Amino acid sequence: MRKAALLFVAAAGSLVFGLTGAAGGAEATPGVTAKVVTIGGTFPLSGPAASYAPIARGIVAYYSYENATKRGADKARGCGGRQVKYIVEDDAFNPTQTVTKTIKLVQQDKVFATVGGLGTEPQQQVRAYLNKNGIPQVYVSTGATFWGSQQKEWKWTIGWQPDYQGEGAIYGRRIKAQTPNAKIAIIYQNDDYGKDYIAGLEAGLGSNKSQIVATRGYNLTDASVAPQLLALRGSGADTLMIFATPTHTIRTYATLRAIGWKPANVYLNSVSATDTFMTLALANSNAATVNGSISVQYLKDPASPEWANDAGMNLYKQIMGKYLPNAKVTDGLYLYGFAKARSFCNVLDSIPKGKLTRASLMAKVLNFTETNKLNPFFLPGVSSTTSKSDKFPLSAERLIEFENGGWKAVGQLVDPRPSKKK
Amino acid sequence: VKAILRAHVVSGACLVIGIAVIAALPSFMGAFETRNMSQVGLYFIALLGLNIVTGYSGQISLGQGAFMGVGGYTTAFLATEHGWGVWWTIPVAAVIAGVSGFLFGIPALRLHGPYLALGTFALAVAFVDLVRSDRFVDVTGGSQGLFFGLPEAPYYETWGIALGALLVAWLVLAGKFGRALKAVRDAELAAVSSGLNPAVFKTLAFALSATYAGVAGALLVIQLGSVNYLVFVPTLSITLLVGTALGGFGLLFGTIFGALFIQYAPLKAEEWANEVGLSNELPPSVTYGVFLLLVLFLMPGGAAQLVLRVRGLFSTTKQRYTRPTVGEGTTQRSDT
Repeated sequence: MRKAALLFVAAAGSLVFGLTGAAGGAEATPGVTAKVVTIGGTFPLSGPAASYAPIARGIVAYYSYENATKRGADKARGCGGRQVKYIVEDDAFNPTQTVTKTIKLVQQDKVFATVGGLGTEPQQQVRAYLNKNGIPQVYVSTGATFWGSQQKEWKWTIGWQPDYQGEGAIYGRRIKAQTPNAKIAIIYQNDDYGKDYIAGLEAGLGSNKSQIVATRGYNLTDASVAPQLLALRGSGADTLMIFATPTHTIRTYATLRAIGWKPANVYLNSVSATDTFMTLALANSNAATVNGSISVQYLKDPASPEWANDAGMNLYKQIMGKYLPNAKVTDGLYLYGFAKARSFCNVLDSIPKGKLTRASLMAKVLNFTETNKLNPFFLPGVSSTTSKSDKFPLSAERLIEFENGGWKAVGQLVDPRPSKKK
Repeated sequence: VKAILRAHVVSGACLVIGIAVIAALPSFMGAFETRNMSQVGLYFIALLGLNIVTGYSGQISLGQGAFMGVGGYTTAFLATEHGWGVWWTIPVAAVIAGVSGFLFGIPALRLHGPYLALGTFALAVAFVDLVRSDRFVDVTGGSQGLFFGLPEAPYYETWGIALGALLVAWLVLAGKFGRALKAVRDAELAAVSSGLNPAVFKTLAFALSATYAGVAGALLVIQLGSVNYLVFVPTLSITLLVGTALGGFGLLFGTIFGALFIQYAPLKAEEWANEVGLSNELPPSVTYGVFLLLVLFLMPGGAAQLVLRVRGLFSTTKQRYTRPTVGEGTTQRSDT
């Protein structure tokens, strides 16, 4: 009797599901029709982290271009033979909103995958939900190391950009090789983000770890970093590592000038090292303080004259002119959005049109090589590779030095995780 | 007497209709809408609490989000570290938040008007740094936070608790305690001279309000399945005060409008901006701001007052109703 009732309920339930699913084809993968693939992501378009909004705008603009252009091997418009509908949801960098909006994307918009969602904590808070439901959470816009290192436990999730530990290690190896007697002071954001960088720096320094003579953390709500910087100066350090987010990076430069401290070497993490933020840093301190800062980059910098005649940069400017005519074209975050949108487009292009499922997407994403030829927004020589043993897609960066209002390359490409290479 | 009786009949009828609507809603809504309405339920509870302290005892609190955080972190801690069933954590969350509110209320009493607002806001700001700092990482999980489950939408549980919270607030405020609070708010000197100790009542109001916040915070964390410091940022406290103002200070039934606004205004503002094609030019927060201004212009005194006004048009006994002034303990009200 009970069994019969259960059967009845199950039958009724499947009938209801069948009816609601009928519009998209009963067997179809959610978000995929013959003509359109629907994806989306959450971003802080408002609130304290709204300065990252250009990434979302860049992604949307890039897909507008793809949807209107015949490109790729199939000479068809869109990616993988389908138009890409990218839905941007504003979460204001508030995890309550991230969860709500992600569930909206999944349940109401029926997205095929979330692509490029921004923020370590917000994306971490929807990871369990997306993995439990088998929904790809690919190319998250955060460089926390655990996206790569925990990929095996969270099969539907993967990062994209070089990770923070890898970047810290690049600085560590450079200091060990070039200035082994330098005394290092670190100002860092007092959380996992800042500590990720410190862990990387220590790994890169290896046996020279004792070069670090002082570390001081600041909290996100601290209005001043003067106490930290005064303490660091007092340690007698000649090399300053800034492992911060943009606002506090600018504040750090302003304070350096105010207290008259000019360390011989300043290293700045890549998150803050974009043209927009450096211009602000320059305006709030002076050239003497900011010049000479060292950082890394893996994408072409739209503010640099280096790419004036570059085909990829010309494409970027052309698309920006057409789809985002009022936006600040030198803001590298738009280009970041372009590069990421193109990466996902390349993955779609490489899956036969009839074979696109959530599982086939993940299989491809986890075993994929994307060179600079496929993605004209990467620096020459930079590629994105994943394999059985490598869950860190972008894995080459270039050291850069700030000079006279812009970044200049110093040296060759370096691998943040040389041990991972086969 | 007749008028009072009639008022109770009307409120009772409204309550019954409200319960019926809320009970029936999920049959008409999809999973996503049900989830939204579950969140409305917990905001409703938080706003009830805030209305007690701000609307009835006349103190502006910008710290309600922090007390929600105390409740939310209590739930997450017990569920993650001690494997408690989430529903059993709610009473503990309520008590801990209530005690925090009581303790905070003692010094906070010395502050008045805008100073109290600043003091409570300091609490909201400090809370974020406290929970993400290394010092309490064993309890709060630091900047990573705590993870214990998947997002859920416990609709009936949330609204069941909300109903209980409403009835308790109703009973408490209709009685001696409520009258004392109003007396302290409207004429503190007169209250003192008739033997009331304003300090006691204000502190108790604070504690009760924080208890409500604790329950709401616990429910929020249950609905998220996890918590981190970004959940209880200072803007949450501001949003809650906005919600209370929109519902109408000192009017419990208006709270539902405030809760609906908190949940739906950001969602709808974004949808609207997308439809009109403004999303590339304006951040959704700007549209949200326009929404807020419109509502404030159309309904000064909150949604509840609008309802009262409309009712006043049809009632024979002209009831004059003026907006209660909050934060100034000496303003007279004409409706009490």
